[in-house]
Amino acid sequence: MYLDRGMDRSRVVVVGGAGILTRDGEMDPAKIAAMLDLGFRHLTGADQSPDGPAALFSRKDRVGIKISTIGGRMISTRPELALALANLLSSSTVSEKNILIWDRTNRELREAGYRLSDGPNGLKIFATDTAGAGYDTELVSHLNIGSLFSTIQTNFVTASISLAILKDHGLAGITAGMKNYFGAVHNPNKYHDDHCDPYIAELFDTPLVKQKHRLSILDALLVQFHRGPSYHSRWAEPCGRLIFSLDPVAADAVGWRLVEKLRSDRGLPSLDEEGREPTYLKTAEALGLGRSALEGIQIIEDEI
Amino acid sequence: MKRRIFCQTLAGTGCLLGTGGGETVRRLLAFQDVANLSHVEARYYRKLPDREIECLLCPRLCRLGDKERGYCGVRQNDGGTYYTLVYGKACSANVDPIEKKPFFHFLPGSDAFSIATAGCNVNCKFCQNWQISQVRPEQIPHHDLPPEDVALAAQKYRCASIAYTYTEPIVFFEYMYDSSLAGRRRGIKNCVVTGGHIRPEPLRNLLQVVDAVKIDLKAFRQDFYTDFVRGELQPVLDAIREVHESKVWLEIVYLVIPTLNDSVKDIESMCRWLRREIGPDVPLHFSRFVPMYLMKNLPPTPLSTLEALRAVAIREGLHYVYIGNVPGHKGENTECPRCGKTVIERFGLQLKSLHLEKGRCRFCGLPIPGIWA
Repeated sequence: MYLDRGMDRSRVVVVGGAGILTRDGEMDPAKIAAMLDLGFRHLTGADQSPDGPAALFSRKDRVGIKISTIGGRMISTRPELALALANLLSSSTVSEKNILIWDRTNRELREAGYRLSDGPNGLKIFATDTAGAGYDTELVSHLNIGSLFSTIQTNFVTASISLAILKDHGLAGITAGMKNYFGAVHNPNKYHDDHCDPYIAELFDTPLVKQKHRLSILDALLVQFHRGPSYHSRWAEPCGRLIFSLDPVAADAVGWRLVEKLRSDRGLPSLDEEGREPTYLKTAEALGLGRSALEGIQIIEDEI
Repeated sequence: MKRRIFCQTLAGTGCLLGTGGGETVRRLLAFQDVANLSHVEARYYRKLPDREIECLLCPRLCRLGDKERGYCGVRQNDGGTYYTLVYGKACSANVDPIEKKPFFHFLPGSDAFSIATAGCNVNCKFCQNWQISQVRPEQIPHHDLPPEDVALAAQKYRCASIAYTYTEPIVFFEYMYDSSLAGRRRGIKNCVVTGGHIRPEPLRNLLQVVDAVKIDLKAFRQDFYTDFVRGELQPVLDAIREVHESKVWLEIVYLVIPTLNDSVKDIESMCRWLRREIGPDVPLHFSRFVPMYLMKNLPPTPLSTLEALRAVAIREGLHYVYIGNVPGHKGENTECPRCGKTVIERFGLQLKSLHLEKGRCRFCGLPIPGIWA
C-alpha cells in the first residue's frame, strides 16, 4: 500500500486552492470539497468524484479520520476540511455512521471548532476521553514503544486516515501525518527525546497503526513554518494546499520541503541548520514504511 | 488492620484510596477533565521569547512551546507561564510501614503517610508502578488533598512521617515541598523516594525541608540509563553526593535485573564509589526484580545473585547491605558491624525486634547511623 506497489516512486499529490483561506481564517466549503475531490482523483486515477475514495475504502470499513487539535482554533486541522472529507467518503462508499473524526480529548476538539457528535446513525465526532472510549488495557510493546492505544484505534477503526495539520515542530522538525498518531496513545510525552526519533517511525510501525493506515492528507491550508507547534501569526502562512499520499513517509517528506521553502522565503535558516532536520523520515524509510528522498517521490501538483 | 481501617475511613469521608498502581489500567477509562487539574505556577523554569519556557527542575531541561507538556506529563506551558497540574492532586494515599519504601535506618517500625501524583521524569522499562507513573494526571482518578490535609491525615493516623513515593515525587515538587512544610509544623518528618533525577538547585531547596531521601540507583553504567531508564546516570550520582553532604538521611536501593545490571564488576565499581564518596555507612538495598511493564521477558532475580552481590558489597567495605523483596531472608536484618549481632530484626515489611539504645548497639555500644526517633 505505502510504496504504491509496482511503481518505482511514491505518488504525492499537492492540490492548491489559491485564496481559499484568508488571513481571517474564513474558508469556502465548496472549494475545500473540490480540492479533496481533485486530490483523490489524482491519487487513485479515478475519473469521477465518488470513485476516488471507493478505490481505497470498502463498504465494510469503519474509517477513523485522525485529526490534530492540540493547536487550538488557529492551528489545528480545519473543521471545514475534516467535515468535507467525511462528506466525500459518505457520498462514495463508506456509510456515514461508520466515519469517526477523532483526537485525544473532547475539550481540544471543541476548542478547535468541532461540534461533538456520538449518535449511532450519523457522522461521529468525539475523542478518546469520551465515556465508554478510553485507552485499551493491553499494553503495546514494539521496539522502543510501550503504550496504551485509544480504543478508537484498537476497536472502532478498521481503516485510518491521518488528516494532520502541517507545522514546524521545535523537536521533531515538523509535525505532520506520521506524528499525528502520537495522539492515539496515552503517553506521547515520552516520545519527544532525540527529535522524536525513532519514536514517530516506530509508533507508526506498530500493527495497530501500520495495518490500519490507508491515507495521509496534510492540511497545509495555513502552515506554521517557524516556532511551531504553537501558533504564532507572524510565522503562519496561508498556503492553501492539501497534500495527499498513500505513502505516509513521502507525504511528510513533501510537507517538510514546503516548510523549508516557506522558511527560506522568509530568510530563516533551514531545519538542518537549526539542528532539527526531521530525521524520523529516514528511520521510517529504513523500517519500510515509505520513501523519504525526493528522487523516490513523484509529485503531482494541481490547482482547483 | 490499621491500614484497612484507614482505607475504610477515607472512603467514608470521600478521601481517596490507592495503591502503588494495581488495577489502575482499568481506570484509564475514567478520565478527569483537565479543568479539574491544578493550575499552580511551577517554581523552577525560565521564560523564553515567543511564549516558550525552559523547565529547570530536572536534567532534561524540557523546552516547551505554548500548550506543551514536559516529559513528565504533569507540567504544562500555558501562554508562556509554566504550571504544575498535580498540586494537591494525589492519585495514591496509603499508610505504609516505613520499611516498604524501603527505609531501614529511618524511624523503624513506624508508619508513613504515603502519597503520589501521576507522572515521572524517566520511563524505566521495569517500572513497578507504571499505571500511575507513566500516565497523565487526567487519565487516572485523583483526589484533592492539599498540603495541609496531607499533614492532618498523617497526624490523624499517627504516622511519624510523610513519604513522597510510588511515582517520581520530583515531578510534583511544589506539592511535596509545601506538604513537607505543613508536616514539619506538626512535628511530622518527611521522606522522599526518588530516582534522583533532579537539578542541584531544587534538590538543595528540597533538602531544607525533608529528613530522609531514598535514591534508586538503577545501574552504574550510562548505557543502562540510556536503554532502560531514559535518563542520565551522572545527575543521579550528583544527587546522591548532594544528599549526603546535606546531612539528610540517605539510603540507596539497587534493583537487580538479571543479565542487565547484575555484573559483579559493575557492583564492585558502584560500591567503591559509594564507599569513597559517601562512606561505608550508607545503607544499600539490593532488591529483587519481578517481571513488569515492558520487561516481562526476564525472570525474577535469583536469590543466589542477590546474595552474591550482597557479599561483594560487604567485601568492598559497606557496613549495611540488605536484600529486599525476599521476605524472611536474613539479609533484611541489620547487623552491628562490630560485634556482628542482629540489632534490628525484620520480616518482610514488619519490624520484629529492635536492639538499639539511643542509636547504639545494645550489645557492644557501637553507634548505628540513622534517624531512630
